[in-house]
Amino acid sequence: MPDRVKIIIVVVAVIFIGAAAATFVLFGPGSEPDKGKDEPLYVEIVRDGRVIEKLDLNSEKDRTFRIEDERGWNEVTIKDGRISITDADCPDHTCVKTGELRSEYVPIVCLPHKLMIRFAE
Amino acid sequence: MKTRRLAELSMLTAAALIIFIVELRFPDIIPVPGVKLGLANIITVYAVYRFSGREVFLMVLTRVIMGAIFSTNFSALIYSFAGAMCCLGGMLLLRKIIPVKYIWLCSIIGAMLHNTGQMAVAVIALRSFAVTVYYPVLIVAGCIAGAFTGICAQLILKRDIK
Repeated sequence: MPDRVKIIIVVVAVIFIGAAAATFVLFGPGSEPDKGKDEPLYVEIVRDGRVIEKLDLNSEKDRTFRIEDERGWNEVTIKDGRISITDADCPDHTCVKTGELRSEYVPIVCLPHKLMIRFAE
Repeated sequence: MKTRRLAELSMLTAAALIIFIVELRFPDIIPVPGVKLGLANIITVYAVYRFSGREVFLMVLTRVIMGAIFSTNFSALIYSFAGAMCCLGGMLLLRKIIPVKYIWLCSIIGAMLHNTGQMAVAVIALRSFAVTVYYPVLIVAGCIAGAFTGICAQLILKRDIK
């Protein structure tokens, strides 16, 4: 095996391990926001990089509503203080499959509609 | 372009498209935007080591555009285009450094570059760096998928040499 191939393998292995560790930190246990039941727990809905709605999950009642524009719609559900996208007319439905918003760092993303739901300060 | 070359490239493009369409039927393994096995890349990696840069570029471009038409998912076109071009550019450079025996390594790096291109477009499209938290997941998935497609390409090439 030539030396340059060995070097490339080591670099790729380091990137892989680093990425795996980062994934664990971002998605693993301990990534949920650390807030009590009486404190406000804000989430924001962002479209095209602008916040279009800000909600406090700890005071919101269970409800379902639609976010719509000319690109299509997403059906957002709030239930027991948790938020998720439950339906959408986008082609991939990745946002629906993501499920509830859990991690402080990881937003629910709908790429076709340029929409994002994430925890806010 | 010689007729023989043209026929070979067309056959490979058709094969890549068939693989692409079959893969559309696979269920999502993890619900992260941009994660997939990318089996059609077996053909791309193989072609990188067998054809000129210009020929592979034309092949990949055709596959990406026709893939969007067949899957009717045009919003994904810009992501697959950016990803495919980063991947192809990187692999064309790497084929000079990495011998064909280690084609799986070239494929892994290609897959990571593909995910990097997609991520760059996602940051621009959403006008936010918040999506970059998905980048590590994409890299991990890209390494695994790239290794798999690379090994597949290696098996094809082995048969080709005989």
